[in-house]
Formats: sequence, C-alpha cells, structure tokens
Amino acid sequence: MIHNLPWLFLLLPLIVAAIDWLWFSKCPRTAATLSTLSAIATFALCVAYLNGWQTGTPDVYTWLPVAKEGMTSLSMGLVTDALAMRMMLVVTGIGSLVHIFSIGYMKGDTSNLSRYFAGLSIFMFSMSTIVLADNLAMTFIGWEMVGFSSYLLIGHWFNKDSAADAAKKAFITNRVGDFGFLIGILLTLAVFGTITFAEMGGKAAGIAPALLTATVICLFCGAVGKSAQFPLHVWLPDAMEGPTPVSALIHAATMVAAGVYMLVRLQVSMGTEAFTETACITIASVGAITAVLAALMALQQDDIKRVLAYSTLSQLGYMVMAVGLLAGEAAMFHLYTHAWFKALLFLGAGAIIVCCHHEQDIWKMGGLAKRMPLTVLCFLMGTFALIAIPGFSGFFSKEAILHAALETSPVFFWIGAGVAALTTFYMTRLCLVAFCGQARDHGAAEAKEAGPTMLLPLLALAVMAIISGYGFIADFLVPYAGFEAHGFELGLPFYVSMGSLVLGLIAAFIVYGCGKRKTDPLAGNALSTALRKRLYIDSIYDKGLIGGIQEYGAQIIEFADAALIRGMIVQGFAWLTAKIGMLLSWIQNGSLRGYALVAGIGIIIFMFILAFTIPTI
Amino acid sequence: MTPLAHYLIFSGILFSIGLAGVIIRKNIIVVFMCLEMMLSAANISLVAFSRAQGVNGIPVYDAQVLALFIVAIAAAEVAIGLALIVAMFRARKSVESSTLNTLKD
Amino acid sequence: MESAISSILFYVFAVAAVLCAFGVVAFRNPVSSAMNMALCFGFTAAVYFGMGAQFLGIVQLIVYAGAILVLFLFIIMMLDVKAEEHARRSFPLACIAVIIAGIFAGFVTKVAISLPGATSGECPALVLCESIGDLAPGAVEQDTAAKNHTPYGAAMPELSPAAAAIELGADEATAAKATAFPDTKLLGKSLFTKYNIPFVILSFALLAGTVGAVALGRKLRKN
Repeated sequence: MIHNLPWLFLLLPLIVAAIDWLWFSKCPRTAATLSTLSAIATFALCVAYLNGWQTGTPDVYTWLPVAKEGMTSLSMGLVTDALAMRMMLVVTGIGSLVHIFSIGYMKGDTSNLSRYFAGLSIFMFSMSTIVLADNLAMTFIGWEMVGFSSYLLIGHWFNKDSAADAAKKAFITNRVGDFGFLIGILLTLAVFGTITFAEMGGKAAGIAPALLTATVICLFCGAVGKSAQFPLHVWLPDAMEGPTPVSALIHAATMVAAGVYMLVRLQVSMGTEAFTETACITIASVGAITAVLAALMALQQDDIKRVLAYSTLSQLGYMVMAVGLLAGEAAMFHLYTHAWFKALLFLGAGAIIVCCHHEQDIWKMGGLAKRMPLTVLCFLMGTFALIAIPGFSGFFSKEAILHAALETSPVFFWIGAGVAALTTFYMTRLCLVAFCGQARDHGAAEAKEAGPTMLLPLLALAVMAIISGYGFIADFLVPYAGFEAHGFELGLPFYVSMGSLVLGLIAAFIVYGCGKRKTDPLAGNALSTALRKRLYIDSIYDKGLIGGIQEYGAQIIEFADAALIRGMIVQGFAWLTAKIGMLLSWIQNGSLRGYALVAGIGIIIFMFILAFTIPTI
Repeated sequence: MTPLAHYLIFSGILFSIGLAGVIIRKNIIVVFMCLEMMLSAANISLVAFSRAQGVNGIPVYDAQVLALFIVAIAAAEVAIGLALIVAMFRARKSVESSTLNTLKD
Repeated sequence: MESAISSILFYVFAVAAVLCAFGVVAFRNPVSSAMNMALCFGFTAAVYFGMGAQFLGIVQLIVYAGAILVLFLFIIMMLDVKAEEHARRSFPLACIAVIIAGIFAGFVTKVAISLPGATSGECPALVLCESIGDLAPGAVEQDTAAKNHTPYGAAMPELSPAAAAIELGADEATAAKATAFPDTKLLGKSLFTKYNIPFVILSFALLAGTVGAVALGRKLRKN
C-alpha cells in the first residue's frame, strides 16, 4: 500500500482541482487554500523522498492491455529515480511558492478565482505526470495536459481579446510540435520495441543511425513546441497575457523546461549513443539559434514581462544547446538554477506590476528602488543570477554549459558567450530603467511595498537564487543522477564569461545612464524596429502561414462544403429521393388495375422462386 | 382415368383467367367476380389433392374442410365487398376502378 | 367403362368452365359476366361431383352459384351499371395481363407435371423418402405409409365404400355390403370433431361479415 504513495503526486492535485471546480467554484478562498495545501503537501512528500525515505517501486497499472504476443500494452507507471524526484522538488517547490504568491497577487481580482486555482492544480497534476511518467505514452498524456492547463491559465482573463488569442496561439503552436512528438513516440515503439524508459537502455546500438536520427528529431519536435524553441517560439512571449504567477510557474520554471527534461530523460534511458551526430547538431543548432534570436529581441522590449519571456526563451535555448552537446548534466543544472531565479524574476515582476497598478511598461516605472526596496532587492538577486555574476547560482550553471560547449564545439561556446553579453545588457537595461531615477508615471509614483504573501515567496526564491548553485546543495538537488558540481576553476570559460558580463554591464550603463532618460536612446532606427517587431517572425507566420492556410483552407472547405456535401450529399440525396419518388409515384398511380398487375407479377416471381429455384427435398 | 395433374392444370387456368380479369376489367363488380373465381379455382386443387392423397380409398378430408371454410369466408367477403361497392357508388356515382385514385392526388 | 365416362365428363366440364371464365372477363355487360360466372361455378360443381366430393359440389352450387351470384346480380341491378364499360380499354395493359396469366398457367402446368412420381408412376411418398434419405426422422413410418399411396401420375385412387364404412364404425360384414360412398358423413365427422373449434370461430367471422355489411350499407346520416 505504502509503496503506491508516489501516486499521490498525481492524484492529490487532480482531486483538489476537481473539488475546487465542482464544489468551491463559489468560494474562491476555500479553493485557494485547498490548492495551496495540496501543493505544499506534495512538496513535503517530495522532500521526504529526497531524504531517503524509500517505499519501494509504485505499482504499474495496465491501462490498455494488448493480449497479442509481441505487442506492447499501454501501462501507467511511475519512476522515482533521482532525476524524477529532484525535478519534482523544483516543480512542487516553485509550485507551492507560486500558489502562496497567487493568493496575494490575485486578491481583488474579479474573475473566477476558483477556476484559476483549479487550473493551477491541474497544472501541478499534469506536470507531475510528465516528470514521473515511466513511459512515453504517459509523458504524452501529461504533455497534452500541461498544454491544456497552460491554455486555461493564459486565457484566464478571457474577456481580454489578447489573452484569448494568446491562449489559442500557445495551444495551436504546441500542437505542431506535439504532432512530431506523437510520430516520435510511434517511431520509438517501432524502432526500440518499447516506450517504457526502463526498457530502452542498450537497444540503440543495433539500430540504423538514420532511424535513430529520425526518432530523436521527431521526439525533439515535442520539445521544440513545449520549450518554445525556434521556429515555434512565438507563443511564449504572447503567453505573458496570463497572470504573472502563472508565467512564473508555467512559462518560466517548469512547463517550458519539460522539453529539456524529456530530452535528458531520453538521453539517460536510451543512452547517449542513441543521439546520433546529425540529431545532436540539429538540437544544438536549434538551441543556439533560439538563444541568440531571443536575446536580440529582448534588447528592445518595453514590457517587463516580455523582457523576461525572451530571456526565458534564450535560457531555454542554452539548455537545449547543452542537451545537443550531450551535456545533459549541465542542461539539468541550468534548468534547476534557472527555475529558481526565473521564478523569482517573474514573481518580482508580478509584485512590481501589482504595486504599480498593473503597469507593465518599464518606461512608465522608474525610481522603484526607493519605494519598494525589498522587492527590488529580491529582483536584483534574480538578475544577478541570470547575468551570471560570480557567486550566484546562474554563474555556476552557465559555466557548466560553457565548459561543455568548449569541450565539444567552440562555435557553440562563442555563441553562448555572445548571448551572455546580450543577457547582461538587456537585464541591466531593465533594472536601470525601472528601478533608478524618478517615477515617470503616477502608477510608479504611488507604488508601495508588496504584502507578506507576495514577499515571503520572493525571499525564499531569492535565497535559492543565491545558494542553489553551490556544490553542497546542488549535489543533492540538481535533477540528475549522480550529479557532481564541478568546482569553479579559472580558465577560458571563466575569462570569456567575465568579459561578456563586464562588456554588457558597461554598454548598458553607457547607453542608459542611471535611469535619467525618458525614452530609449536606441529606439527609432531600422534595427531597433525590427527587434521590437520580433524580427517579423510573428508577422510572417500571421500573414504567410496562417493567412495562407486560412485562405486555401477556406477554399478547400468551400469546395468540400459546396461541391461534396451540399452538391453531392445533400442535393444529391434530395435529387435521388425525388427521382425514386417519381418512379414510385408512377407505380403508386392509384389505379387498382395497376396494383393488380404488380401483384400478379409478384405472384409469378414468388412462384418462380418457390417452384423452380428452391431444390425439391 | 384423369390424373391429378389435369385437375391442377384446370385449376391453374381458372386462376390465371381470374387474375387476368382482375387486371383488365375496370368495373369493380366484375373485378370482384374474378376474385371469387380465383378462390374457387384454389378450391378445385384442394379437392383434387384431397382425393389424390387418399389412403385406402378414403380421401383426405382435411383438405375438403379447408375448402368448405374458404367458401364460407368467400361468402362473408362478398357480403362486405358488395356493401363497400354500394358505399363507393353512393360516394362517386360510379363503379369504375379508375375513379378510385384519391390517394394519387 | 364407368371411369372412362367420368374422365370424358371431366374434360367436357373443365373446358366448359374455362370458356365460361373467359366469358366473365370478356363480356362488357356485367350481367352477362355474372351469368357466365354462374355457369362456370356450375361446371366446377360438376367437376366436384366427378371427384366424389358431393357435399362440396352442393355447397358450390348453393353458396356460389346461388347466394353469391344472386347477391352480385342484385347489386348490379340495384346500381344499374349495365350501361358502362364503353370507355376505352387499355390494350397494352390487357396484353400484359394476358402474358402474366399465361406465364402463371404455364408455371402451374410445369409444377403439376413435375410432381413427384407424376411421370415415372412412382409413389410420391416413396420418392420423397428417397430424396430425404434415411437420416430424416420418421423415415420408416413414411416408408410404410408410402405403400398405401397411389402415384400422382396414375389415375386418382378409387373410392372404397367398405373402408369408409369401417372408418365410420361399421363391422366388417356390414361394410362389405356397402355400395355408396358416404362422403357427407365423413366430411361432417371431420368438420364436427377435428375442426369443431375452427368451425365455431368461422361462424363468428360470418356474423362479423353480416354486421359489417349492414354497417357499410346503411345510408350515412347527413350532419
């Protein structure tokens, strides 16, 4: 019985979500409390497991049994290895803090809060399903479920057109990647003969490299969608229309990292030999392109959440690049530190937004450092971690990735270094504009320190953002079996990353001064406009892809509708019925003699059958 | 002596003449007569079989009882059928079957 | 000699009946049709007599040629429909009707001459037993019964007054002296013992027919 306890990770949030929605849809306070308690309970359970509390392997339930020999039954099982349980710590830990923060953040919101908290709980359930799944089918179920909960939460304020559109965009863009993922799962089943992670090991050696490449790249498509990699990155910045805690939990710390987690899980279970050279280069290139493009676009964003969103994209690009360089360890390290400090940044941004009366434009803020010092301090901790100032957690994980890149491929190393400089530049810009100088708008002028339910999670996350990178903690908590933090060492990666850090800092200070400027001095030229317009990628998708699909799709549908359905089926049946009716009405002419004639013909046919075709006994 | 087959053929010819009459004739009273003739033709084959199937020189009387029942039913049918014809004549002033085409319109 | 005469009489009456039936269809005047039908039923009754079914022949005369025909004539007279049928006849329809009737008659002929044993002179029951085979249940009983059957191809079996007398309960000595065949007695026995209940039910059908005819025939009150 007790060995089935890990199922609670899944069932508790699911049941709470159902209860929230079914019974407490009219009392949001109870719903919020229940959801928060369930998140904290799963967190406590997770901590207990990490402290070595072993209860044995949870039962595997056969979901869709297949009786035939040699076929795979679909089952539902949980893995409780270090990779999964430490990832669960990130999910439930940040999840709990976000739940607590949400209580403060959503106070006074007039929308249906029970729906919000039910959505959060459903997200916790689905994310746990991804993390704990012992086979790809179950991962896929969780994969779709997180997409669904993400849709629910992005579109929480569905009265706003932009939020509803963003929710749809996220959902549909994810579908594209999921399609590849589904093909990848089927390919895995065909190539490996199993989709259970535990049974994949050692099978890659005897398989043709082309098949392996195809399988891995198809599976990677799922990660491209979920982790918002180029070219499917467009949904993530728009997803910022959702409530900020949701952005912190789903679109910064956990769900978007699920792609990275899944890739590392595959690397661990299939073995790195399954990742052929072509597949690796593809993955790493996509990651690198995303990192560079996202960092460039972040340079000219004015919305505080959008800056962070592009930063998330860029950091996810880092992680995917690391996976492509077969440095799953470094990728998971960065995922883990990034989860803490990016959640911190988002929650800090959320606190700032609430305190500035829902103002998100950094050019309308300013001088916040004096008005809400504690929040700003926490935010700065997150920033330092993100731009990798030595001593903060991000520094260690970025070093790990740069190390791995230098060992494998110097091209990716220099790309990483360039992105690091860009990151420093845009984060410094954000801080200088928003926190220094004078308030530029009455919202910022009236800002006050956030309440305790918002500050406490911020402080907890700030602590984690500082210390989580140190070896003595990371060795126990980084979601990777047998992780060992490499000691910080002087060398080329260190010098280059320090160089890019200093370069970014100096450039930002020169351009933006100490927050005295009213507008962006870099704005106005063609490059800046292009970056603001997200390099026109979204417009191209909108006009070329979506417009084209809609136009040609409309024509196809028009054809199907008018010619096939209306012309052939509806009118065709009507025509046929009319013709048959006319024929029958000729028979049904009301003439008694006609009926007698038909009856006579019938008698003859009947007699013929009876007397001449049925053999006599 | 006459074999069974000849009685059956006689019965069949009578029946087919009745059938042709039902189809050809317009006068519904004559149509009705032809129907009666068809029933009678069926009776002939029943009686013929009754005799031909006989054992030890005694005919099978089941068939003759059936024929008797047919006669009785035919009598009842004629009573009702003619009453219907009278009713129809009252309504349409005609016994032409071609006037019975209300269903067509 | 006697049987030859009855055979000839059958053909005479049969041909006469068929000709009268033609008359029913062919005559335009319904009264002529009705008269032809009376003749047709009379010849049919004669055929019944020839087959030894005296009671049915009498019933045919009384009920068909008597009651029913009178009813028809009565209605024809009452409705005064003799002036009709000058309207065009549908020639194609008549052709089709004749063709259908011909096919039907052909089928009946084909069936009649291909009855089991109709050509080979074998016993029909025996032929059936052979074609069913020994596997069929009750094959043995049928086999013994077959011995008492006359083949269809042969002439109809002769009626046996003696066997009928024994069937009606007479002792052997009385039966041997019997000369006339007690057709009505045997039919009555069958009707009032084996088919008693259907007979009673039939009377209800006749009653219903009477009531229905009265209900249909009365003048509808104009509201």
